[in-house]
Amino acid sequence: MAYSSAIQCLSDPTRRRVFERLRAGPQSVGALAKGLPVSRPAVSQHLRALREAHLVNQRAEGTRRVYYIDPDGLGELRRWIDEFWEAALESFKAEVEKSAPRARKKP
Amino acid sequence: MTTTIQIAPVRKSVVVEATPERAFEVFTAGINRWWPKTHGIGKAPIRESFIEPYAGGRWYTKCEDGADVVVGHVRLWQPPERLVMSFEVTADFKPEPHPAFASEVEVRFVALSEGQTRVEVEHRDFERMGATAGEKMQGAVEGWAALLELFAKQLAA
Repeated sequence: MAYSSAIQCLSDPTRRRVFERLRAGPQSVGALAKGLPVSRPAVSQHLRALREAHLVNQRAEGTRRVYYIDPDGLGELRRWIDEFWEAALESFKAEVEKSAPRARKKP
Repeated sequence: MTTTIQIAPVRKSVVVEATPERAFEVFTAGINRWWPKTHGIGKAPIRESFIEPYAGGRWYTKCEDGADVVVGHVRLWQPPERLVMSFEVTADFKPEPHPAFASEVEVRFVALSEGQTRVEVEHRDFERMGATAGEKMQGAVEGWAALLELFAKQLAA
């Protein structure tokens, strides 16, 4: 499932920091690497993993490449929320019907 | 780039064999009996869940480690038809100190015939987070980061 790959991807703390830094807006690898305690190639590797999980996308801006948070990737996660409520409501239904005082007799 | 990420609300519904009064009662006073223990936002798993039955009341969980964790607050308490609650979670899994950054959950209890009720949940306003600060994109993404933490927690549980 897409959401699980996204979650797995973000379970790496450094990768999560890279992702969080992109909240401020699109940035180049160089800009991202500044302020992070890892090398630029390492940041590139994390960005590749984030792209594979559809959390981050890239585009050319002049001669450099900038990375940004992929809104469609968030759509995948939205579907997870959907499943979250699905499970909660299923559990709710079971409880209501288990504990309900005998409902009015149906014809 | 000043793109605003718009995230459509999540809408779910379920039909239950109970009156709206009964469904509202179980949803709120009885939340501890059905809210999945794995759907927690604290450091430890949920021990008990509560919704305080009035506008301004807390939706919170008591965790296995003894901590009380606020999930949100009741914004509208209108039994047996409607319940609106904020969903307040920060990126680092603490109660969100700025209510304006919260998303919102509305629950409607619609009476059907023969003692049935349709319970509709709408989880919305993901993009509202941070809107007041004029940083819509950042806010929305912060909200998602918070949810990601929740998902990770859920899967790890």
